Amino acid sequence: MHQLCDMEPRVMDDDMLKLAVGEQGPRDEAGQLAKQEGILFKDVLSLQLDFQNILRIDNLWQFENLRKLQLDNNTIEKIEGLEKLTRLVWLDLSFNNIETIEGLDTLVNLEDLSLFNNRIAKIDSLDALVKLQVLSLGNNRIGNLMKIIYLRRFKDLRTLSLAGNPIAAAEDYRMFICAYLPDLVYLDFRRIDDHTKELAEVKHQYSTDELKHQENLMQARLEDEQARREELEEHKAAFVENLNGSFLFDSMYAEDVEGSKLASLPGVAELMETYKDKFVIICLNIFEYGLKQQEKRKAELDTFNERVQEAVQENQAQGRHRTAEFEEKHLLSLSTIRGESELTDIETKIADQREDIAELSNALMTLEMQLVEQLEETINMFERNIVDLVELFIENVQSLMAQCRDLENHHHEKLLEIAINILEKIVKGELDEDLPDDVRALFVDKDTIVNAVGASHDMHLLKIDNREDELVTRVNSWCTHLVDKIHKDEMTRNRRRVKEINQYGDHVQGELDSLECGDILD
Amino acid sequence: MEVLKEKVEEEEAAEREDAAERAERGEKMMRLMEVRKEETTMTQEMLRDLERKLSEIEVSIPEKPSTFTKDTIDISKLPLSYKSNTPKEEHLLQVADNFSRQYSLLCPDRVPLFLHPLNECEVPKFVSTTIRPTLMPYPELYNWDTCAQFVSDFLAMLPLPDPLKPPSYLYSSTTVLKHQKGNCFDFSTLLCSMLIGAGYDAYCVNGYGSQDLCHMDLTREVCPLTVKPKETVQEEEKAPPKKYAIKPPRDLSSRFEQEQEMKRQEEIKAAEEKRWRQEEERLMEVDSAKTDPLHGLRVHSWVLVLSGKREVPESFFIDPFTARSYSTQDDNFLGIESLWNHKNYWINMQDCWNCCKDLIFDLGDPVMWEYLLLGTDKPLLSPAEEEDNGANDDDDVENLGKEDEDKSFDMPNSWVEQIEISPEVFETRCPNGKKVIQYKKAKLEKWAPYLNNNGLVCRLTTYEDLECTKTLEIKEWYQNREDMLELKHINKTTGLNIDYFKPGHPQALRVHSYTSMQPEMDRVMEFYEKARVDGLIKREETPKTMTEYYQGRPDFLSYRHINFGPRVKKLVLNSAESNPRPVVKIIERFFRNPAKPADEDVAERVFLILDERIQLRYHCREDHITASKREFLRRTEVDSKGNKIIMTPDMCISFEVEPMEHTKKLLYQYEAMMKLKNEEKLSRHQAWESELEVLEILKLREEEEEAHVLTTSIYDTKRNEKSKEYREAMERVMHEEHLRQVEAQLDYLAPFLAQLPPGEKLTRWQAVRLKDECLSDFKQRLINKANLIQARFEKETQELQKQQQWYQENQVTLTPEDEDLYLSYCSQAMFRIRILEQRLNRHKELAPLKYLALEEKLYKDPRLVELLKVFV
Repeated sequence: MHQLCDMEPRVMDDDMLKLAVGEQGPRDEAGQLAKQEGILFKDVLSLQLDFQNILRIDNLWQFENLRKLQLDNNTIEKIEGLEKLTRLVWLDLSFNNIETIEGLDTLVNLEDLSLFNNRIAKIDSLDALVKLQVLSLGNNRIGNLMKIIYLRRFKDLRTLSLAGNPIAAAEDYRMFICAYLPDLVYLDFRRIDDHTKELAEVKHQYSTDELKHQENLMQARLEDEQARREELEEHKAAFVENLNGSFLFDSMYAEDVEGSKLASLPGVAELMETYKDKFVIICLNIFEYGLKQQEKRKAELDTFNERVQEAVQENQAQGRHRTAEFEEKHLLSLSTIRGESELTDIETKIADQREDIAELSNALMTLEMQLVEQLEETINMFERNIVDLVELFIENVQSLMAQCRDLENHHHEKLLEIAINILEKIVKGELDEDLPDDVRALFVDKDTIVNAVGASHDMHLLKIDNREDELVTRVNSWCTHLVDKIHKDEMTRNRRRVKEINQYGDHVQGELDSLECGDILD
Repeated sequence: MEVLKEKVEEEEAAEREDAAERAERGEKMMRLMEVRKEETTMTQEMLRDLERKLSEIEVSIPEKPSTFTKDTIDISKLPLSYKSNTPKEEHLLQVADNFSRQYSLLCPDRVPLFLHPLNECEVPKFVSTTIRPTLMPYPELYNWDTCAQFVSDFLAMLPLPDPLKPPSYLYSSTTVLKHQKGNCFDFSTLLCSMLIGAGYDAYCVNGYGSQDLCHMDLTREVCPLTVKPKETVQEEEKAPPKKYAIKPPRDLSSRFEQEQEMKRQEEIKAAEEKRWRQEEERLMEVDSAKTDPLHGLRVHSWVLVLSGKREVPESFFIDPFTARSYSTQDDNFLGIESLWNHKNYWINMQDCWNCCKDLIFDLGDPVMWEYLLLGTDKPLLSPAEEEDNGANDDDDVENLGKEDEDKSFDMPNSWVEQIEISPEVFETRCPNGKKVIQYKKAKLEKWAPYLNNNGLVCRLTTYEDLECTKTLEIKEWYQNREDMLELKHINKTTGLNIDYFKPGHPQALRVHSYTSMQPEMDRVMEFYEKARVDGLIKREETPKTMTEYYQGRPDFLSYRHINFGPRVKKLVLNSAESNPRPVVKIIERFFRNPAKPADEDVAERVFLILDERIQLRYHCREDHITASKREFLRRTEVDSKGNKIIMTPDMCISFEVEPMEHTKKLLYQYEAMMKLKNEEKLSRHQAWESELEVLEILKLREEEEEAHVLTTSIYDTKRNEKSKEYREAMERVMHEEHLRQVEAQLDYLAPFLAQLPPGEKLTRWQAVRLKDECLSDFKQRLINKANLIQARFEKETQELQKQQQWYQENQVTLTPEDEDLYLSYCSQAMFRIRILEQRLNRHKELAPLKYLALEEKLYKDPRLVELLKVFV
C-alpha cells in the first residue's frame, strides 16, 4: 500500500471502467461477440478494480445491476458514489484509507462487507444493511469495546473480524464479543466453539440480561405504537377517526375561552356533564356506524374485484386456447411451406396462412371487445352501488351530526337561561357565591353575557360543522378516486391486451413475410 | 320331565282350542286364495292344478346313489350326541310330531313339514338343533358376504336326491365340512350356523326355487366381475349467478334450428331404443322357450337374513350355492314352506301365489307365521306392537321372566360338534383348491393360493357368444408373486396384453400393456412415480416414437416426446444396443417454475436435430394470452472473409411479449444457444437411456415370467422354508436341552433306595451303606467301561497284526487291488486304534474325577446329608 502511495493517484474514468469490464468479460467466442457488440455497464454483475491506486470512487452510477464490487488496495479516503448500486451483495473496500463508515445507506442487499485495514475508529452508519452476514473490520482503529453492542441489530451476522484493533488487545475482548453477539459463528476467522460461548454467556450474564430486557421493552413499545397507528389508519379509512371518545367534544372547548369561563358558573358543571355524556354517545354511534359501513364497502369491493378477476381469467383462458390452437397449425403450415417447392403452391399456402392470421386476430379482438363490454356493464353497476352506499353513509352521519347540533342548541338555551338568571340575581344583588373576577366581568350587562354565551355556542357549532365537512369531503373523494382507478385500470388492461394481440399478429405476419422473402430470394 | 310334559299338554290343549278358530281362518284364507286364483291368469291356475295333480301322483324316484352316501362316512368315530338323542331331544321330537299331525290335519293340502330328517347315524334330529351357531376365528368370515362366499367356495354342490322333496337326510355341518360336499340344505345349514354365530339374524329357509337356482346354474347370469361399476354421474351444481357476475355474450344462434336438431337426435335415439328393445324381446323369447316343467315345485333351501342385527338395513336372501344376495322380491324364489333358526321353527301361513313378493317377514305375527315352540323369543314384532311395548316397557320386563318360566320349552342345544375349519383348509378353500363357475358368456376359475406354481388364483374368461366358443378376453389374477404381478388382462381380439403390478416391482412398474414383448413396438408402461428417482409416470412407445410423462421433478420436466428415425445400417453388423436409432426430434415440456418469471421459464422446447433447429416456448404470463417464443437456427457458416460466423441476428428469431433490452444482445443469445446445445446432448443421452431401460425391463419381465417365483410371508410358518428350518432347529435344541435336563435330574440313588423298604426313614447305617454301595457300583461301572475299551483296543490291534502278518506272507502274490484293499484297511484300523487309545486315556483321566464328583454329590444329597454330616 505504501508503495502504491508513491504512484500518482488515478481517477476512475470511463476508460478505466471500460478496460476493466472488457478484461473481466466473457472469453473466447463469446468474448469476440462481446467485443463486437460492446458491453453495457448496466449488464455487468461483477467488477474488480484492485491495485489501481484509485483515490476517489466515481462514475459507478451506471452499474445498476452490479452484485460484486472489489475496490481493495487503493487509496480511497471516503466511501461515496455507491448510492446507485442497490443490488450490491459483496463489497470489498479493504486496504484503503477510509476513516469513517458512511455512504452505505442505500445498499440494503449487502451481505458481505470488508473494510479491513483502514483507519476507522467508530462502528456506525451501518443501519441500512439489514442482510449483513460477514463484516470485516480488522486492522482499524476501533477502541471502544462497548460500541460492539451496536452490532446486535444485525440478526444475520455470522462472521466478524476485529483483530488488529486496539480493542482486540483487551483481555476480555473475545468473551465480551461472544456474550454480546451470541449468534456469531466465526470471530477473527476462527470458529467459536460451544464451550467458549457458554463461558462467555455465564460471565456476562447480568449485563446481557439487562440489555435483552431493555431491548424487549423497546420492541414491545414499538409494536404497541405500530398497532395503535394501524388502528388509527383503519379508522381513518372508515373516515371516523377520533370519534370513539370525547375528542370532538374536548376540541369544542379547547379554544373556547368564554365557554370555560361560563363553566365555572353554579349549575353549569352538572349541565356540562350530562351534555358531554350525551354528546359522546352520539359520537360513538357515528363511529360504530362508520366502521360498519366501511366493512360493507370493503365487502362490496372485494366481491366486485373477485368477479372481474374471474371474468378476465376466463377470457384469458379462451384467448390462450385460441392462440395455442393457431400456433400449432401455424407451425405445421410453416414447415410445409418450407418443404414446398412449387412456387404457386407456396403462394396459395401463404395466402391461406395470411387469412388464418387475420382470422385469429379478429377472433382475439372480438373476445377482447366482448370482455370490455361485459366489464363496462359490471363496472357501472358497481359504481352505482358504491355511490349509493356512500350517499347513505353521508346521510346517516349528517342526521347524527344534526343530533349533535340539537344537543348543542339545547345546551346553549339552558346555559343562556342560567346566565340570565345569574345576571338577574347579580342585578338584584342576591347572589350568594363569589364569582371569579373575569367571570364577573361578563355579567356587566345583558348584552355582554348574551354575546359571550353566543360566541361559545357559535364556536361549538363551527367545530361540529368542520368535522362533518371533513368527513363528507373525504368520503366523496375516496369514492371518486376508487371509481376513477377502476376505470383507468380497465382501460390500461384493454390497451395492453390490444397491444399484445397486435404485436403477436405482427410477429406471425413477419415470420410469414420473411419466409416469402427467403423463398423469393431462393 | 313331568313339568315339561304338563307344559306340552297345556300347549296342546291351547292349540286344540285354537284349532277351531284356525280352521275358520284357514277356510277364509282358502276362500281368499280361491278369489285370488280366479284373478290370476290362466297359466297360474294351470300351474296350480298341475302342482296339485303332481303332488297326488307320488312319483317314486329311485334313490340315486350319490357320491356322498352314508357308506363313506365313518360313523364309529362320531361322538355320542350324533348317535343318540337326549331325553330332551326325544321330547322335542314328540312335540314336533304332534305339531306335524295337527298341521297336516289343519292344512291337508300342504306338503308335510320338514322337521326331523335323519342324520348320518340314522338318528332323527330336529332341524333347529342341527344349526350350531359358531363364530369363526377368521376375520374374513365376520361379514355375511365373505361368509357366504366361503361356504359356496368350500363345498361342492350335490343336487337333491329328489328335486321335488326335501331330503330325508340332513347331515351335521362337521360331516359336511369334512367331505366338502352337500346339497342345498347342507349349504344353508352351515351358512346359517356361521351367520348366527357372527351375530346376524339368519334363518334357514325351506322353499321352492327356480331351476337355475336349484341347479346352481349361473349360465344365464352375468358374471359379477364383468359388470363394470356404474359411473356415478356427478351433476355439477350450477352456482347461482353472484353479484357482479358478468353476463354471458348474447347467444346469436337460432333457437329453431336447435330445436329441430334436438328433435332429430331424439328420433334417432328412439329408433335405437326400439331396436334394442326388440332385440331384448327376442332374447327373452328364446329364454322363455326353455321353460321348466317343474317350475315352482323344485325344493330349495336358502338363508334369510332379517334386518335389525349387525346393522342390516333390509331383509334379504342369500343363495348359499352362489353366495349372492337377493332381495326378498326376487323372481328366483318361488315360495317358502317353513324356516328355522337354532331356537325355533316357523311355518309360512301366507300365500305364495306371487312368489315371495308379498311375504311379510314378521315372525312374531302368528297369523302369518305359525311357530312350533312357544315363548322363545319372537324375533320380529310389527312396528305397532313395538310401540305398545315401548309404552309399558316395565310390565314387559316383569312379565318376560314369568312367561319364560311357565310357557317356554327351550330348544335343546345343538347335537352337532363345534364347527372347525383348520387354517390350511380355509386357505385351500375349494375342494381340491379348484373351482369353476360358468356364467353367461363367461367362465370363472378359482384356485387356492400357492396351488399353481405361477401364483394364479383366479381366471375369468369372457366369450363372445353364448356357447362359449370364441374367447373375447381373459383376466388372470395372481397372488404372492415375487414380481408383484397382480392381474393379467389379455384381450384376444386386439391381442393387447395388460399386466398390472402391485407396488414393489424392482423397476417400480405399475401397468404394462403391450402386444408383443419385442422392443420398439407399441407399448405403454406406467410406473409408481414415487418409487422412481426420475419421477417417471408413464412411458408410451410406438415403433417410431417414445413419450414419457413425469411428475414432481426438481427441474419441472413433465413430458418428453422423442421421434426416432430409421436405423442407419452400419457396415459392421452390431447388436441393437450398440446401434441406437437416430433421434430426429425431441419435445420437452415443463411445469411452471414459480421461482422464475414467466418470460424466462421455458414451457416447451423442441430440438429438431436434423434441421439443427431449437424452438423454445415460454410460459404465459399471468395476464397475457400469448407467450414468448424463441427459435435458434444453428448453422456454422463461414463468412466472405473465411472467418467463422459465431452468431448473427438471424440465427435467433424471437417473439417477446414484453420486449427486453438485454435479450436482444447477441451475447445473450449466444450463451442461451450454447446452453441449449448442452441440454440437447443431455436429452439425447436421456432418450438413449430410456431405450436401454425399456430393453432391461423387457428382459427382466421375461425372466420373471419364466421363473415365476412366489414369495412367502415371514408370518407364513408353513411355507416359509427358512423360518421352518430355523424353527425346527430351535425345536431340536429345545428337545436336547430337555433331555439333558431329564438326565441331570436322574436319580442315581433310586435303584439302591428301591432295595430298602419304602416309606421308612433311613438310618445312619443304612445311609452309609447306601452311599458305599452307590460309589462301589459306580466304580465298577467305570472299571467295566475301561475294560471294555481296553478289550476293543486289543482286539483291533490283534486284527491289525494278523492282517500285517498275512500281508507280509503273501506280499509277492498280491494283486494291486488287494494291496489297495489292505492299505485302506490298515489306515482305517490305525484310525480306530488311535481313537480307542484316546478314549481310553480320556477315560483314565476322567474316571477319578467323575468318581469324586459323585461322592461329592452324594454327600450333598438331601436324603443323605443329615445322616452323613456327622460321619464326615
